[in-house]
Amino acid sequence: MRVISTHFGDPLQRRLGTYVERGGYEALKKAFSMGPDEVVETVKASGLRGRGGAGFPTGVKWSFMPKEATKPHYLLCNADESEPGTFKDRELMRWDPHQLIEGCLIAAYAIRAKHAYIYCRGEFFETNQVVARAVEDAYEKGYAGEDIFGSGNDIAVTVHQGAGAYICGEETGLMNSLEGRRGEPRVKPPFPAAVGVFGMPSTINNVETLAAVPHIVNNGEEWYRQWGTESSPGTKLFCVSGHINKPGNYELPLGFPLSELIDDVCGGIRNGNGLKAVIPGGSSVAILNSEEARRCRLDYEGCIDVGTMLGCASVIVMDDTTDIVKQVRRMVDFYAHESCGQCTPCREGSAWAAQIMKRIEIGEGTVEDLDTLMEVTEQMVGTTICVLSDSVAPPVQSSIQKFRADYLALISEQESAGAT
Amino acid sequence: MSDIPFSNPGWAGNTGEFDLTEKEVRGDDFVGDRPKDGGHPSGAGTMPYMLVDKDPDAPLFEGEYRQRFEKILTRYPDKRAALLPVLSLAQELRGHVSAESMDEVAGLLELSPAYVRGVTTFYTMYNKRAVGRYLVQVCTNISCNLCGADEVLQAFLRYTDAEMGETSKDGNFTVIEAECLAACGFPTCVQINSRYYENVTPADVAQIIEHLKPEGES
Ligand SMILES: Cc1cc2nc3c(=O)[nH]c(=O)nc-3n(C[C@H](O)[C@H](O)[C@H](O)COP(=O)(O)O)c2cc1C
Ligand code: SF4
Ligand code: FES
Repeated sequence: MRVISTHFGDPLQRRLGTYVERGGYEALKKAFSMGPDEVVETVKASGLRGRGGAGFPTGVKWSFMPKEATKPHYLLCNADESEPGTFKDRELMRWDPHQLIEGCLIAAYAIRAKHAYIYCRGEFFETNQVVARAVEDAYEKGYAGEDIFGSGNDIAVTVHQGAGAYICGEETGLMNSLEGRRGEPRVKPPFPAAVGVFGMPSTINNVETLAAVPHIVNNGEEWYRQWGTESSPGTKLFCVSGHINKPGNYELPLGFPLSELIDDVCGGIRNGNGLKAVIPGGSSVAILNSEEARRCRLDYEGCIDVGTMLGCASVIVMDDTTDIVKQVRRMVDFYAHESCGQCTPCREGSAWAAQIMKRIEIGEGTVEDLDTLMEVTEQMVGTTICVLSDSVAPPVQSSIQKFRADYLALISEQESAGAT
Repeated sequence: MSDIPFSNPGWAGNTGEFDLTEKEVRGDDFVGDRPKDGGHPSGAGTMPYMLVDKDPDAPLFEGEYRQRFEKILTRYPDKRAALLPVLSLAQELRGHVSAESMDEVAGLLELSPAYVRGVTTFYTMYNKRAVGRYLVQVCTNISCNLCGADEVLQAFLRYTDAEMGETSKDGNFTVIEAECLAACGFPTCVQINSRYYENVTPADVAQIIEHLKPEGES
């Protein structure tokens, strides 16, 4: 069952002609006939939730926009994919660029925006060329730009390329970056629907969120709700990586059991090894041990039930040979490197946590270091401008709680070495 | 760049294993032919190439590049917003963004040099100093790391005979460690100039290096 990944693996899908032959841009026509508010209502009723990590209901977000466009409105597509473990947006863009462009146009229409910016990750040179070429084709055939299909609707689309900084994926960091500033997140409120990019009302959505929109408009909310759960409807791409036989992107209904994803869909763990741990939602969520992983259902609530989060559904599988301390240290290094430095708890806390993790990894840590790590990361939660800071605690704390023996092994080796 | 001797575009999940050439996966008729003048203004802000032969003294914003610059300006409500794409344009030609390039860009966009410096240094993709003909960025983040990225990085350092972050003596390679490149299902992912190499193992490295040496552009 595939909705947004139907044409992965088919190079013809990138061509506008093929896309249109297969029913492409029909949803945009339909949206124009429905009117903006009905499009918002349909997406709201479908229960589609943001796929960029936070899972906020998309239709509800759109409804925050002013109903009258007295100032310019902007639609921003967040294509800055850079959460470790996540590799779905790149596939969506390079296999089916028009699906995304159509989603952007419909969303822009619904929020009364006349300009949509696709903020693409800078490293995606090749992917960005695919998207840029597809946008050009859309302009040429009158699917984007002025007076689309003679409907009187003008919507410009611009592909904008970032320049490397994880924090530009944060919505207000992205806005600053698009304005030509340092990609530092802004204090909220004001929220983007009131004061967004260029000081104007703006809505920002993830690539995968927007890719689902044409299908929902075409087929209706009930159709979309045939998959998933009541509160997490629809399908989702699961990016499976790590010690797994068949890594890749799998589109499945939300609520799918994690154990089945690993054992059946992805062909099990490499070399027939045992499962040690799973991160179900990218590097900023709590690590599950094998017992929790067996119980985990992959939807927003199912993940909360086992003490973690779905995030962007980036499933990182670790077998029983994994050095957990090393991997957590690598993640903490990432956050220390990517902290934009505006907030002291984040800047200092991440650097300090990285230092302690390194010390433990090379066998120079102490038992007290574990307590210090718990305290340092705790102080990073809820005290800063954006949630990058909060993202350090889940992997560090969950690993210390669930894999304490791994930490202690490194520490006691050192302590006994010191004794002899 | 064509005919990479090893090819493994990986798994596309439930689309099965691709029965495609690497060029088809990467989009051979879409990638690599973007016009130097930027084509339609909607896509002019993307940076199509990272030139292999970098000329730190290349004139900025002349001819086709001037046209691209003008097109970029039309897509934003103010000049400041063109800063990132314009810095990328400077780097495309010169290989890095020197203090002089920053000042030139500042002049063109009517921004202060100090402001442009502050923005440029924020972003990792702007090389602050010259790099080799090939900038090799090995992802060592978690998914790649679980599958042996550290060994791949070591192999690149060994075969290029470069120190981490420095350029090899022959001027060909600069090898650095990268954060997640969003290709985690195809470990280890290595970005070399503008293209990704996926599923790279230490055993592939010698072949990649040999293949790159005589090439003209990537
Ligand atoms: C540090 C940080 C990095 C983020 N990176 C991304 C990203 O790369 N891509 C993305 O779509 N959302 C990212 N987000 C989430 C965005 O802030 C925002 O919630 C999302 O783009 C909204 O789109 P959605 O409602 O469609 O999910 C990030 C958030 C934070 C705090
Ligand atoms: S929490 Fe960290 S990344 Fe976010 S704004 Fe503060 S310093 Fe920057
Ligand atoms: S972890 Fe290497 S590409 Fe994501």
